[in-house]
Amino acid sequence: MGDAKKAAEYGLDALLKAGADKAQCLLTMSQKHEMNVDSGALSLLRTTFDTQVNLTAIKDGRRGQSRVNKSDPEAIDGAATEALAIAASSEPDEANDIAEYQPPKEFSAGSESPDLDKMHFRMKELIAMTKERYPKISLWQAILEFTLERNYFLNSNGVEFVSTEGVYRYSIVFSARDGDKVSSFNYSGFSARDLDKPVLECGTIATLFGQLEEQVTTTPLSGKFVGDVILTPDCVGDALAFLMASISDSALISGTSIYKESLDRQVASPLLTIHSKPVSEEICDGYFFTSDGFEAQNSTIVDRGVLKSMLLSLYGSKKTGRPRAVNQGQAWVIEPGQTPLEDVVKSVERGILLTRFSGGRPSENGDFSGVAKNSYLIEDGQIKYPISESMISGNFADMLMNITAISRERANFGYALVPWIKASGVTVSGK
Amino acid sequence: MVRFDLREYASLFSAYTELRVQENRNVSVVFVKGNNTTNARSAISGVSARVYKGGSWGFSSSPELTPEAIKSVVKAATDNAAFLDLREKKGKPPLPAKNAVSENDFSTKKPKLTQKQLVEYMKELDGYIARTYPNLTSRTVVLNSLEMEKTLLTSDGSSSHSMIPRTIVAVVMSMERDGKPVELSKTYGGLGQPEDVLGSPLDLSDLIEEQYQHLVRKSEGVFANAGLRTCVLDADLAGILAHEAIGHTIEADIVMAGSVASGWIGKEVASPLITLVDFANTFDGAPCPVPVYIDDEGTKAEDAVVIDGGVLKTFLHNRESAGHFGVQPTGNARAYLFSDEPLIRMRNTAFLPGKSKLQEMIESVEDGYYLMRPSNGQADSTSEFMFGITLGYEIKNGKLGKAIRDTTISGIAFDVLKTVTMVSDDMKWSCSGMCGKKQMIPVGMGGPAIKCKVNIGGR
Repeated sequence: MGDAKKAAEYGLDALLKAGADKAQCLLTMSQKHEMNVDSGALSLLRTTFDTQVNLTAIKDGRRGQSRVNKSDPEAIDGAATEALAIAASSEPDEANDIAEYQPPKEFSAGSESPDLDKMHFRMKELIAMTKERYPKISLWQAILEFTLERNYFLNSNGVEFVSTEGVYRYSIVFSARDGDKVSSFNYSGFSARDLDKPVLECGTIATLFGQLEEQVTTTPLSGKFVGDVILTPDCVGDALAFLMASISDSALISGTSIYKESLDRQVASPLLTIHSKPVSEEICDGYFFTSDGFEAQNSTIVDRGVLKSMLLSLYGSKKTGRPRAVNQGQAWVIEPGQTPLEDVVKSVERGILLTRFSGGRPSENGDFSGVAKNSYLIEDGQIKYPISESMISGNFADMLMNITAISRERANFGYALVPWIKASGVTVSGK
Repeated sequence: MVRFDLREYASLFSAYTELRVQENRNVSVVFVKGNNTTNARSAISGVSARVYKGGSWGFSSSPELTPEAIKSVVKAATDNAAFLDLREKKGKPPLPAKNAVSENDFSTKKPKLTQKQLVEYMKELDGYIARTYPNLTSRTVVLNSLEMEKTLLTSDGSSSHSMIPRTIVAVVMSMERDGKPVELSKTYGGLGQPEDVLGSPLDLSDLIEEQYQHLVRKSEGVFANAGLRTCVLDADLAGILAHEAIGHTIEADIVMAGSVASGWIGKEVASPLITLVDFANTFDGAPCPVPVYIDDEGTKAEDAVVIDGGVLKTFLHNRESAGHFGVQPTGNARAYLFSDEPLIRMRNTAFLPGKSKLQEMIESVEDGYYLMRPSNGQADSTSEFMFGITLGYEIKNGKLGKAIRDTTISGIAFDVLKTVTMVSDDMKWSCSGMCGKKQMIPVGMGGPAIKCKVNIGGR
């Protein structure tokens, strides 16, 4: 750790010696231990080490960024010289700046080394439990990784942050097969501080395995209708991604965001409250400071449907004249509703349970369309059957306003805490 | 990057081993509405080793490029393979090989452009668009250059050095309709460093004018009529159809995991008009967008004819899957970063041209769509694909009608390919593809226009 911090200090000094008016250095040392299951069998153990040195120089209002993955003086000197050369080639911009002074602080979370034998045990257990409980499921790829990351952030205003975080992350891709019939694939994942629980007891994995076994036989929808959609926790992120991109730097600086004048205005149903909680006990895979050097704080982005914060960086804030966000998003915690999931389903006259959305990138105005994968038809409050070759289309902004129920239950992915959300007015079309 | 002679480390190999030194160099310059929001360079390099023992793999990597680090990753990868082999005891045989020695360097011979010159190029391009099209509400121009330089040695005798660069300029234009944004983007460029790809910004003026005219029509566009429709997919779309709809479904690791295509070799899976090839490096005498001469397992890269006259001929293989299926590997194992292990990846996947003319294909459609530009796409084990459409037009009675708003098309690939009734006689490559499958990787996609039936999203 001492050497890494010295390397970060060396990086900051190198930028200032090279002529930067303002400078920042983020040095990240990471090690990853990763076990891979491919086609149902353990196949690969990976151990990787990396170092990333991100240097930012501002001179005469011009900014340059350079990144190398070496921390020896020669490499850092070269990167610092390059950052200044890039700054010299940039356009001057008054919005280029670095974080103001904050007291030095060290953060830590999670363990600092993996338990390889327990990782192996959990993956073997996953293979065995899947075969026993879900015999139609084929594990395409299951990855369990332990990542330890040490970050050193220094800038010329005296900001000094050090963080150490160890976390286990799972990601699983799977399909089901019954004779000649195959399901669509599905995937999910979650983060965890430890390996205390079997994989099938975490996130939404067991639910998705059970559903997928049903989905080897599907029925294509015919015709089209406008109805309700229940977004399952695994695909709530698709609707959220549109909102978050629209309140971030690029969309607000370019002026293309439909939410550019929506701060403190209603952008969603009063049922919806979204927090970003990177430093909450509820989230095990958050972050301690932003990439531009501010200690991260938890915040409420949408409060009972009202937009309370844009997700602007320091640069975006200065560029648009709007407040800087106190974090950089993610670590989403969505408030649960009052309605049991069972009753949310019962309230649907005609619609679909959307378990995976495979769609085109939404338009800047929120229009979207895509395939309703791994999904079910709901009629008269009952889940009828799994569907295939069915598309949905609508508008994400309208969908957020048209939320009519949020479940009491939530899925805990470690990196996010998300309920089931029902919205109306979505076009569902089949062949 | 400093050239490494890896042969001195061969004595450390105790099982089948790949040793790779790699550097990825990136340049990124972005102007958003005239603001130079990004101006950055990066160089990410290191060494990795992958070891195969009895059916289990071990991998390790380090960013340090010292003799000690190289020895260390070989040992760690060997230890990792032993850790799994001890516990898994698969007892699998050695991997099939098609070894090669290769040197392929696409570095420019021209004087290098400075970062300032690159920024000036982009500033001029942005300024040209701002001046020429004052009614745009926003514009974004992006320069992205990626150079991948690799040196590889395998324990069974393959070795290579390659430097494959790619330079892409993306132009995004926005205008408003009823107070809401309408956007259209287009990428330009391809194989080569900036010196070989970028000319003058004004060289793009005709293409940008065409993009602007499409955007104007799109701003007055209508929703597509959702459902199963007859469509003419322009060459840009045929490429992504080849990649997403067929390519992923026949990657051997996906087949082994449960793809619907398992067991379909030798069967008719498409119209006889359809021939689909994953080209290794050369088409019609010229380098493909992402030429691969030797893959990251040391296999000599060769073209893979996937569908020939409608009949499925092969899957795409790495050495392990080739061993599983009892065929020869074709050089499809590729890794993105030095710290990534090779995965089965497509290279330059394309339908071959047919005999029809695009115009007569459009004229043959009574009520349907001419779809011109894709965005993102996704495939599935069932061969059901989808991809976004950012530019398209109605076809009414054989004539182009109104532009349509952004939408998505989908279908069961092998069913859709059986509905193909016309294939155009031209061929276009899309050079900016980036495919995600655990890792990202640059890919080329290409094809002629295709007339078929697909589901289209809309209202």
